[in-house]
Amino acid sequence: MKIDRRCFLSLAIGAGAGIALSPLPWKLTDDLAIWTQNWQWTPVPKRGAAKTVNSVCTLCPGGCGISVRKIDDRAVKIEGMETHPVNRGGICTLGLCGLQLLYGPTRVKGPLKRVADRGKGQWMPITWDQAIREVTEKLSAIRKSGRPQSVATMSGASSATLDALLDRFGQAYGTPNTIRFPSVDDAYHLSVSLMSGGKARVAFDFEHAGYVLSFGAGLLDGWGSPVRMFKANALWKQSGVKLVQVEPRLSRTAAKADTWISIVPGSETALALAMAHVIISESLYQAEFVESCSEGMEGFKEFVAAKYTPDIAAKMTGVDAATITMLAREFAKSKRPIAVCGRGQGTIPGSMDMFMATQVLNALVGNLNQPGGVWFVTDQTMQEWPEVEPDAAAKAGLAYPRLDGAKGMVPLKRSLPNQFVQAVASGKDYPIEALLVIESNPLYTLNDTALVKQAFSKIPFIVSFSSFMDDTAAYADMILPNPVYLERMEDVIGASGFPYPTIGLSQPVVKPQCNTRHVGDVLIQLAKGLGDTMARAFAWKDFSACLEASLGDRFKTLKKSVFQVDKSYQPPAPNEIFASERFSFIPRGIQADVAFKPIAAEGDTGGYPLMLMAYDTMRLSNGYIGNPPFLTKILEDTVLKNQDCLIEINPKSAKAAGLDEGDRAEIQTPKGKALVRIHLDDGIMPGIVAIPRGLGHEAYDVYLAGKGINVNSLVGSLSDPISGFEAAWGIRAKLSKA
Amino acid sequence: MDSALIPNGVRRCAFGKFLLGLAIVGAVLLWGVYAMLLCWFKGLNQTNMNDNYGFALWIWADLAVIALGGGAFFSGFLKYLVGKDELKHIINYAVLIGFICYSSALLILAIDVGQPLRSWFIFWHANVHSMLTEVAFCLSCYFGVLTIEFIPLILENRQINKVSFFHHLAHNMHEIMAVFAATGAFLSFFHQGSLGGVAGVLFGRPFAYREGLFIWPWTFFLFTWSAAAYGPCFTLLITKITESITGKKLVKDNVVELLAKISGWMMGTYIVAKIIDTIYWASVTAPSKGFQISQFYANNSFYGMWILIAEILFGGVIPALILIMPSGRKNPKARLLAIVLAVIGVCINRWVMVLQTMAIPVMSFDKWALYYPSWQEVATTVLPVAYGTILIMICYRYLPIFPQEAELNPAVD
Amino acid sequence: MKNEQSHETTKKFGMVINLDLCTGCGSCMVACMAENNVPFKPDETDKLKSITWMRVYRLTNGKSFPETDICYLPRPCQHCEGHGGHSPCVSVCPATATDYDSQTGIVSQIYTRCFGCRYCMAACPYHARYFNWFDPVWPDGMEKYLNPNVSPRMRGVVEKCSFCYHRYQAAKDRAYVEGQREIEEGDYQTACTQACPAGAITFGDLNNPEHAVYKLKQDANAFRLLERLGTNPKVYYISSKEWVRRAADNYLPNEKTGK
Repeated sequence: MKIDRRCFLSLAIGAGAGIALSPLPWKLTDDLAIWTQNWQWTPVPKRGAAKTVNSVCTLCPGGCGISVRKIDDRAVKIEGMETHPVNRGGICTLGLCGLQLLYGPTRVKGPLKRVADRGKGQWMPITWDQAIREVTEKLSAIRKSGRPQSVATMSGASSATLDALLDRFGQAYGTPNTIRFPSVDDAYHLSVSLMSGGKARVAFDFEHAGYVLSFGAGLLDGWGSPVRMFKANALWKQSGVKLVQVEPRLSRTAAKADTWISIVPGSETALALAMAHVIISESLYQAEFVESCSEGMEGFKEFVAAKYTPDIAAKMTGVDAATITMLAREFAKSKRPIAVCGRGQGTIPGSMDMFMATQVLNALVGNLNQPGGVWFVTDQTMQEWPEVEPDAAAKAGLAYPRLDGAKGMVPLKRSLPNQFVQAVASGKDYPIEALLVIESNPLYTLNDTALVKQAFSKIPFIVSFSSFMDDTAAYADMILPNPVYLERMEDVIGASGFPYPTIGLSQPVVKPQCNTRHVGDVLIQLAKGLGDTMARAFAWKDFSACLEASLGDRFKTLKKSVFQVDKSYQPPAPNEIFASERFSFIPRGIQADVAFKPIAAEGDTGGYPLMLMAYDTMRLSNGYIGNPPFLTKILEDTVLKNQDCLIEINPKSAKAAGLDEGDRAEIQTPKGKALVRIHLDDGIMPGIVAIPRGLGHEAYDVYLAGKGINVNSLVGSLSDPISGFEAAWGIRAKLSKA
Repeated sequence: MDSALIPNGVRRCAFGKFLLGLAIVGAVLLWGVYAMLLCWFKGLNQTNMNDNYGFALWIWADLAVIALGGGAFFSGFLKYLVGKDELKHIINYAVLIGFICYSSALLILAIDVGQPLRSWFIFWHANVHSMLTEVAFCLSCYFGVLTIEFIPLILENRQINKVSFFHHLAHNMHEIMAVFAATGAFLSFFHQGSLGGVAGVLFGRPFAYREGLFIWPWTFFLFTWSAAAYGPCFTLLITKITESITGKKLVKDNVVELLAKISGWMMGTYIVAKIIDTIYWASVTAPSKGFQISQFYANNSFYGMWILIAEILFGGVIPALILIMPSGRKNPKARLLAIVLAVIGVCINRWVMVLQTMAIPVMSFDKWALYYPSWQEVATTVLPVAYGTILIMICYRYLPIFPQEAELNPAVD
Repeated sequence: MKNEQSHETTKKFGMVINLDLCTGCGSCMVACMAENNVPFKPDETDKLKSITWMRVYRLTNGKSFPETDICYLPRPCQHCEGHGGHSPCVSVCPATATDYDSQTGIVSQIYTRCFGCRYCMAACPYHARYFNWFDPVWPDGMEKYLNPNVSPRMRGVVEKCSFCYHRYQAAKDRAYVEGQREIEEGDYQTACTQACPAGAITFGDLNNPEHAVYKLKQDANAFRLLERLGTNPKVYYISSKEWVRRAADNYLPNEKTGK
């Protein structure tokens, strides 16, 4: 058959009409729509049996209870534990993000050994046997050559048992250099020792307080146990308890406070002392307490009368004298007033003058160990382990002084990572040949990052036990990953700032997701490998046995109940705790001038017209735990924009520097410089600029690395003359358009 | 080479030149197609739209081309229903332009939605309360009508017309074209209006919200009226451009002047209504929601008061006056000026109703959201222009679109 | 059908958020994202392309230092009732992909029905609706934490706060199994309400005098956002600060703040 054009056209049109009328196009259209509803690359979560597992969160020292919802073996949601006395069902931003840490891309999947230059990110996966063998050989060689003191540990572990295990490791091995990271809790503790001769954790009965005066404590910015503080604030609001925030910046705490006193940073002590002066001179103090339980009032009275009248303090603080007087009267006349300090979240201890001045105020109103007051709490203790019997090598090593210079600080177990780093960097005394880093990220969290890096570069062998590829792990020689808190069992004693003794047992919620081993298990294995006295000191089978040994009978019950709290706890009465040693308004053996001397910020005012302060926010995790993706997601675009960090500055100061919103600028301090963008904010005192802690990581994953700048790298380290604690709260700075 | 296809009695440029022209416009078209594919395969993240700016350049382009394509339904209405027979000399072109505008609008919509393969849900799961449903139904139906109106034009190609079936088909379709013109006018009334309703019903957006008649906000009627008023101007503008590119007079002045006169009167009445609407909105509607009119034109230089003046005065009052006055519409330069101003004016109106509506913050603590389109958006918006140009080139070359062309341009050889 | 429904008690779920208590910490935002499988990208700093069903706004009183004051305002979907269920977004959706449930007062969103025209986003003055500009991507392994009760959304559709509707369904199922006729206040709470460490959010049936929200919404300092637009939202706020209450709506310069 010959097909002519006409025939072809007819056929084509016929075929077209035929197909159009057939079900085919309709079926295809429908199938395509169904396909778009089931794209394979959009995951469909599996269904399964649901159950809830309770545990204790250890992401911060808050000690909250968590309830983890599980579907089969997957953890799908972390919620606050309803019955837990600390957080009572509430949960903070970081706690909610826990599963992103558990399943996140920043986990170290198994033991790693560095293959290229340090910090280049090239690793070789190794077996646990090899990892432990290599570390054992290294430690054994150092010990055999008679230099056990040159091995150091740096730990931010929250587990008291693990802490004790690390100390024991140092004892048996022979090194005094077991370094922990102190916080405001340690500074408070020291203030109790110095002023009251006691030994206690300082806590605050905020729930029953009648007035709260905070010297820069970020009570609603993550201070203490954050969820508990939010709940306490809600209570204050509902019952009309006044919150006064003394701070140069309108933080969230200042914003929620009834009164925000903006103050020249670093002069908070002066304000507290001037208030003390008013209280004393107007006889507003609790005479009964002062007479029966304190000493040194006369000397203190003269001291403040001479140096801290409201007029003098007004010049130092920028708060006018009338306000100071008003504040002092209000504080002293309130029922159950509490004064509290500890900048921001209180992760950096700060200088002692502030703590002592705060305690002076609390003592003047007699609100120590009273309901609604400041409590000295003795937590439940661990059961004693058999004594370590150090061998000759260990004894020789232990005879060396600690590199951080902390000594004679009984009853405190004090360590000074800032000074440790300085000693290592300067190479004084003796070198550190091996460093074990546990649950901490010193290369990021310590001030003066450049110096920390310099110190670390001098240490030939760094082992990180981090669960994550954090900044320090990335710079280590070996990584022996620890399981994360949801995969391991650990004890949690006390909750920061919480007045009742609590003990919790963090439980494994899911089975380990990576090839990890608990650092406690690894320490026991290392000790066994090192043999002799070391092996004898670490006779436990594993860390779990060790926990059982320290918790005793409580171990089994805690496994079921997760926490125990002594709600009936009463702090010792003033005459009990001060029976032998009274509260000293001026700590014994310290001149008032020295005790209450504020730490000046580094840098000269001429070259650096501005003051840089680091601030803490609930939306940025700034310690060992890096910010999980959800937290970074909820960061305001006035804090982080693309990869740029925004620096907060008062419009007046910005105008003076010729800068406007969004401008790129260079911030320079005596310690370094960095590129930032400008964010104008009326909520900050002119002359001050602020950058949040928690940005500027070099390691972790694409959700965190390279975002913003690390403010710690711009701030130098200043040691408190009394405690040696890190006391730098800011640094002079200048801004120029970039 | 293709002389057998070219209509009798007219001259066309050399085939090579034609191909070169096609190639140039085709390159632009391909650029647009590439951007379109990017949007389809990678998603709308290729655009600069965002959660505050869910409607942007494309929706403006859509509203604008549909308003401009209004020349088709209104000319048809005038010719077949009102009986303005002179318009038969320009109706073909009006239909072609309308066809291009509406097919472009549908194409843009197909790119604009996040799930194009499901866009038929608008028919399947139709929500009768939604203005967009009304738009979709009327738009599709009217596009069908336009296609039916366009087909006889294709069938008049010299070679196709030789086939007796097609010849008769074309003839018969012409016979009943009044029916389609009436259907088209009816459908257009609704979809032009419902496009106006799209913004007007947004009672969460005080800038766009209007009270109205029954279920329709005033913008419903304003949009229909303005499309009828401004659409013919666009037909005239494209005719003028075609004339200057081909270097030939294609439509007689009396036809052009008639259309211009009707357009002018429509525009005049429309702009009076628009001014009344604006005054009522500024003094009653907006203040009842807590807004001063100045708030809508504040904060940034782009959405300043100038845009309202440009739309109403320069894009409405002035062209309307020029076209209403015989001396104005008879003067080719003044007429062209009026037509251009009118086209810009209606485009500004559609721009404002879409983009400024999105830009203005409603919550007092919210911020203005300004946006600039990504190249992919620009390319896909230019795509229909290129496609339209190509279609006009082909139709002009092979179809007897301008009945007066042969008469106005007698063959010399 | 209509008769059958009228026998049931009509519920009107809503929220009262006490802004005096809210500290702006962001727990509600994260709890919501964790509960509802909200995705995240490496860069979320473009807040106009960042899906946060619950968003905490930061309001300032506009005064300069030290008179500056700020207030945080969490903004979930307001689940507007409009007039007779014609909320701004529901009435415009061409494909009936979003619906006002007259039995619960919850504005739903059917992701598989939505074809991404974004008209609802244009209609919502609260910016409570979010478009999936990108394919949601969870880093390898992280999809393990996805909640099976909420389906992850595909690229190209609109999503928004559902008042954790899946929790309502679960609560109803539980009540049915336990032989209860009505679910109780505590049975159904949204993820943000549950997580809020400050206890600033209260959730319940606005129609039920036994629920806390019933009384709280009548607080002298209670207000809603943009009431004058007639959106009739079901999220109430409480603030003791006049400037905050005023910021909730738009007022002409000479107008007084009022209901």
